[in-house]
Amino acid sequence: MERILEIEDLKKYYGRQPNQTKALDGITFQVIKGEFLGIMGSSGSGKSTLLNCIATVTRPTGGKMLLKGQEIQKLKGTNLARYRGRKIGYLFQNFELLDNLTGRENILLPLAIQRVPGGEGEKRLNQLAEYLEITDVMDKFPAQMSGGQKQRTAAARALILNPELILCDEPTGALDSRNARGLMEKLKGLNEEEAATILMVTHDSGAASYCSRILFIRDGRIFHELRRNMPEESRREFYERILKVMAQLGGGSEYVF
Amino acid sequence: MFFKLALRNSRRSRKENGLFFSSLLITIIAFYIILSLPNQDVMLFLKQMESDAVDRLMSMIPLFFGAALVILFFLIYYAGKYQMQRRRHEFGLYLMMGMRRGKLFSLLLAEDLYGSILSLVIGLPAALLLAELISLVTARVAGMGVIGHRFSFSPEAALLTAAGFLLIKLTAFLILSGRVARQEIGSLLVEMPEGMKKQFSGPVYGAAAAAGLVCLGTAWRMAAKGLSWYSTGRMGLTLLLGVCGTWLLFFGLRSVMNFFAGRGDRKGRLRVFHFRQLEETVIRCHGALAVSSLLILASLCCFGAGAAIMRFYGDSEPHVLDYTFDGDMQSISEVEKKLSAQGLDGQFSSLFEMKVGYIRTTEDYDNAFRMDPVLEAISGMEDSEEKQQLENILMYAEYPYIISLSGYNRLLEAAGLPQISLERGEAGIYMDGMFAGEGERKIMDEVLAAGPEADLDGTTYRLTGNVQSVNLVTDDSITLSFALILPDEDFAYYTQGEYTVYLDGVLKKGEEESLMAAIMDMNSDLDQNGIIYESYLQNMGRQMFYVAAAGYITIYLAVVFLIIANTVIGVQFLMGQRRTGRRYQTLSRLGASYRELCRAAGRQVNWYFGIPAAVAAVSSMFGVRALLMGLLTSRTRSDIGEVMWIAAIMILFLCVVECIYMAAVRRSCSRYLLTVMEPEREE
Repeated sequence: MERILEIEDLKKYYGRQPNQTKALDGITFQVIKGEFLGIMGSSGSGKSTLLNCIATVTRPTGGKMLLKGQEIQKLKGTNLARYRGRKIGYLFQNFELLDNLTGRENILLPLAIQRVPGGEGEKRLNQLAEYLEITDVMDKFPAQMSGGQKQRTAAARALILNPELILCDEPTGALDSRNARGLMEKLKGLNEEEAATILMVTHDSGAASYCSRILFIRDGRIFHELRRNMPEESRREFYERILKVMAQLGGGSEYVF
Repeated sequence: MFFKLALRNSRRSRKENGLFFSSLLITIIAFYIILSLPNQDVMLFLKQMESDAVDRLMSMIPLFFGAALVILFFLIYYAGKYQMQRRRHEFGLYLMMGMRRGKLFSLLLAEDLYGSILSLVIGLPAALLLAELISLVTARVAGMGVIGHRFSFSPEAALLTAAGFLLIKLTAFLILSGRVARQEIGSLLVEMPEGMKKQFSGPVYGAAAAAGLVCLGTAWRMAAKGLSWYSTGRMGLTLLLGVCGTWLLFFGLRSVMNFFAGRGDRKGRLRVFHFRQLEETVIRCHGALAVSSLLILASLCCFGAGAAIMRFYGDSEPHVLDYTFDGDMQSISEVEKKLSAQGLDGQFSSLFEMKVGYIRTTEDYDNAFRMDPVLEAISGMEDSEEKQQLENILMYAEYPYIISLSGYNRLLEAAGLPQISLERGEAGIYMDGMFAGEGERKIMDEVLAAGPEADLDGTTYRLTGNVQSVNLVTDDSITLSFALILPDEDFAYYTQGEYTVYLDGVLKKGEEESLMAAIMDMNSDLDQNGIIYESYLQNMGRQMFYVAAAGYITIYLAVVFLIIANTVIGVQFLMGQRRTGRRYQTLSRLGASYRELCRAAGRQVNWYFGIPAAVAAVSSMFGVRALLMGLLTSRTRSDIGEVMWIAAIMILFLCVVECIYMAAVRRSCSRYLLTVMEPEREE
């Protein structure tokens, strides 16, 4: 099993003693190729900080992050930009489509940034647009799209350069349940058909049930891990197991005074 | 706490919106410069020489000040509007936290007053320095550095500047804060949508751009051919076509941007993003861009025309004489006696009589002087404008003035030029530079080199030497188009003792005293003794008045227009960038490096400033030409080519200023992008 991402003793502290906040307090885990990993936790648990550290939006206080053996924190300048643009794809909660670009232009944006000739991307664009059912909105501006179409367009943008790892930050957070389900099915499909490696932060148990493994974070530490027993365990059964852990997370006995 | 907050907010505003603060300083400087005009050395000097004309100009200053108030009010209002919009969310938060609207108003007023006072504290000394600099430069350009400079501060101008500045600042503040105060908290807290502009189909924009070009082309043609000056109606039509053409061009410009964006990112470099950003701005602010372009055009026209006029009127001939006393023989000898009695003659390094008269030996005025060999030699030469001009002058030379050789030689001696010697039967030619330019004199010199013969009242004379052109008296406006220089005996014979004598004087130059001070001292001595005179300063005053009145005002307006246009474009761009800051953040997350983002923003700045400036620069080439055709006299119109070159150089210089402005905005952009790229805690 090829390890794509290795996180070792990752720490992120804000402030100084005695008022220090430990957003991440020594997290260690690995992501293997083709895995669909979910990160769950309540608000302030550190799940977004973890994603931001991997996406190089936030600099960790300590620990190591390795993408295919390459240490992420040490990347600088062109290498850092290349990592952000080519190695990872980022799917934002509120889409972050550039509202003055059409759907097509938004999707092709990473190619422009990475200076990839347009011709190479066109084929991939058509393939993704068809799969994600957004061919009709290719020449529309975001203001003319529905929420689901926007997020699927954003997904196509995240996937256009075939990144090693796709980071999803609450991708269903701004969608209604129908659109959320549609998006998750597409992501799952990409994971299964193209062996895309996905790391998704969510607090939506429904969305998390599409994952093959889930890490639960509390107070900056990994609190629990769930693996879906494939193929015998159905998504519904996995969903119920997630709910149980979530109930524990939100109301563990140690919080009862 | 309240004042601390006001102080802190004011400081932050200055830091975050330096362009707004600079526009405040510029406003103060602009006000002070126009108001301190009467106190500047150059004007004080002019007032002594040309008091009526200067008084007329000074009476127009309140008018200019009023116009500047109105124009600069828009600058303050526009810059302030963006400032307010940027802080809407913050105002909403204050109100949410229970701040009463009255208190918020007071807070904003305190901030505004603090900023205004600080601007005055910094702006007034800067204005004073700049006014002094302008005074010095104007004096140098017009007076060739003869004016003794004195530092002058005008408290009245400073007070009026402060009052005018506070007035427009407060008016703009009341209007803007009134708008904010009327809004609901909710709408303040939420990012205000700009409001979708009504969209037309693509061909409409294409047609608008084409129609704009046609209108502009027609206006350019009318201006270049000078048709605009035929009547008020035509002038109005030219201006209307120009304004409408510019507006239509900017309205239709989005089709061009759309075309470029539609071509895709073939070579990467965020081309599509860059053109879409521009397209968005063009859609949102095509009116403001058109107005900015017209302001730059007005500025370029004023600058070009002003510089050309200054060059023309400021281009005086080298000055030799400081004084001329005129009259007949008797009064001149009285003047000489008086000067000698008062010991004033000792202050002149040279004091001599210049005798000029008519031919009194004949009454046949049409044939008193004939120089057929000269005219034949000239007509045989190759055709040129100079040749034609020379023939025109010589056509009326049949009854010329005559000048005595001894006086003229003293003049040449004073000018540091070699004297001329004439034998009996020889004559020299005098032609003033006002009529015969270098080209004409060169042709004449060629002819004179052969020593042609001429007939003066039946006697044959050989014309010799080069054409002479040193001014005979201090007054530049007394000129002779053609005269003969004759040996003194011949002069006495032909004038029959009836001639005019000018007593010319050149002052001794003191080591420390400037020429201006020396002449002024001498003037007061002469006035006390009742001696009538014409001094070099009066002559220079006339010239300087043209330079100051035309050049000063036009260049002042040019600078004001240019600053307003650039500030509007700059503020608009930077605020637009802030509004779309999130997009840059997304691009950064998608892997765009800081350098790449800066480059993309820089390209946008280039286009954003470049388009209005380029349209204005093209229009100005026609506009300046039209202005010069209307303003310059018919004699100088032949020099329009040369003047156009000067205007073109000025336009080029202003393009450099534009580039400096662009560089400043680019730097500001880059600083902002750095803050956008800073990682932030988002949970």
